[in-house]
Amino acid sequence: MSGSPALEARGLRKSYGEIPAVDGLDLEVEAGTVLGLLGPNGAGKTTVIRMLSTIIRPDAGWFTLAGVPQSQPVEIRRLVGVLPESAGYPRGQTGEEWLTFHAMLFGRPRPDARATARRLLAEVGLADRGGTLVSGYSRGMRQRLGIARALVNDPQVVFLDEPTLGLDPIGQLQMVELMERIVRQHGVTVVLSTHLLAEVEQACDRVLILNRGRVVAHGTVAEVVRSAAIPRRGLVKVPPELRGRALEVLAGAAVDAAAGDGDLGELELRLPADVAPETAAAKALGSLLDAGVPVLGFTLEGGRLNDAFLAVTEGA
Amino acid sequence: MAAAVEGRPTTGRAPWLVTTDRELRDLWLTGRGLPLMFVYALLLSITSYLVATNQALNFLEQREAVSLTLQVAVAVGALLVLLGAADAVSGERERGTLESLLLSPAPRRALVAGKAIAALSLWVAAWVVSIPYVWYLGHGVGVGGVAVASGLVVGSLLALFLAGYGLLVSTLAQSNRLSLSVSLFALLALYAPTQMPSSAQQGWFGGLLLRADPFTSGLRYLGKLVLEGHSPGQDVGWLVGPVVATALAVGAALAVAGRLTLDPGRRS
Repeated sequence: MSGSPALEARGLRKSYGEIPAVDGLDLEVEAGTVLGLLGPNGAGKTTVIRMLSTIIRPDAGWFTLAGVPQSQPVEIRRLVGVLPESAGYPRGQTGEEWLTFHAMLFGRPRPDARATARRLLAEVGLADRGGTLVSGYSRGMRQRLGIARALVNDPQVVFLDEPTLGLDPIGQLQMVELMERIVRQHGVTVVLSTHLLAEVEQACDRVLILNRGRVVAHGTVAEVVRSAAIPRRGLVKVPPELRGRALEVLAGAAVDAAAGDGDLGELELRLPADVAPETAAAKALGSLLDAGVPVLGFTLEGGRLNDAFLAVTEGA
Repeated sequence: MAAAVEGRPTTGRAPWLVTTDRELRDLWLTGRGLPLMFVYALLLSITSYLVATNQALNFLEQREAVSLTLQVAVAVGALLVLLGAADAVSGERERGTLESLLLSPAPRRALVAGKAIAALSLWVAAWVVSIPYVWYLGHGVGVGGVAVASGLVVGSLLALFLAGYGLLVSTLAQSNRLSLSVSLFALLALYAPTQMPSSAQQGWFGGLLLRADPFTSGLRYLGKLVLEGHSPGQDVGWLVGPVVATALAVGAALAVAGRLTLDPGRRS
């Protein structure tokens, strides 16, 4: 058990009628990892989460969760916490009542369940609203309540399916911060399904991109970006009067560069696809600075997860 | 494997008790339980007032007045159970709260059992409300006790039958509207034989239909006891229909409940 990955899946398939939702998913996630599960709408993210949390049965393939095989769904449910996509909430119950009820469903005696509910409400920033009916909660508060519910059983693996859906930018930021805090405090493995790629870059150790039910990219953010082999370009801004000098320096450093807008002192760097963009950019910028050419600005294009996402999902 | 679940709390109440507790609170503290009981009591008040006090309109013999009130009490009380059961699972599905229930380790049948008990509590409450009405009308002609007791037995059978049937439909229905529509349509179909002309109730087919239909046979049984003064054992054959229908509906509901899924329209 101790050597088992938090999640392991091989050849998972699920179809709805003739339409394949997930087609041959292979996955291995080490304990403590935050995995970003990405993909366009309809890519199969929710189906993956529902299979791995035993809500639906795969048509083929197998998986284990913390070493527990899919043939033991009740045991798996004891080990996972899930914030479902578009989760509903009972409008006639208070947040504390709802969490207490779910904690009791996991076998906690009522006093223990109530204490757990209060602790989790405090963790998600709802300590002062625990006695309020859920119907009085904002969308963001409900999502935080949903995360608290996902934690009532002290899970080993937490699935968050679009936790920022329908939230304003501040709510999205708060949700990501909450997720990071939970990872730190609980040390759980997290599978995060989201469309917020910037947050994935910030919060996720690894990324898995699905498109039409198939895995089109998997690895760390840097690995996914590199494997997408997108043409990458950097825009360097130097003092206009030093533009010629800068081009000479870059040519001497074997960096492929061309003049951009001369009046603005911009230079375009064409970065090699087989080197991490940060490394190539650092080399170019370092050579300029070493030669005494001040760098007034730098923009990296094509080296972000967003670019890789578009490349692997549009091209697939 | 053992290490994965070691230390997990397992000393709490049984899941069906947890669910029952929650459902009863939802129904009676913040849900439709009290408004439904208010409407039920109003209906019984109007019915019993008319049959008992309005001499100009009341052409019923006293035993018939008791029988009519009793049948209304039983039929409407059982209908309330159907409404509660038909909403139980499909309502959760429609409100998006079913998935979080399915994510718990509680057995599916325990979740449905809690909902069934909550739905049946509507019948218990309805019967408690109806006792004074039935007793008041029946005690003057010596059938108050029989009416209350037989109404409890027949009504409980019909309530169990409709709870099982409603949960069966609700578990299989994709939407709450579909569940309620199918349930109410079936209830109307069950009432239909009571409205058949007497000529259609003759012969072996008519007799079989009357006895097979749990509603018709159950209400006939009440009539035999209250109107004709028969002993409870004399016409017990009329209860075979309700007993068989209840066993079938509850059995089917339990079987389907064990395979409760998020989306019954999709194979999962």
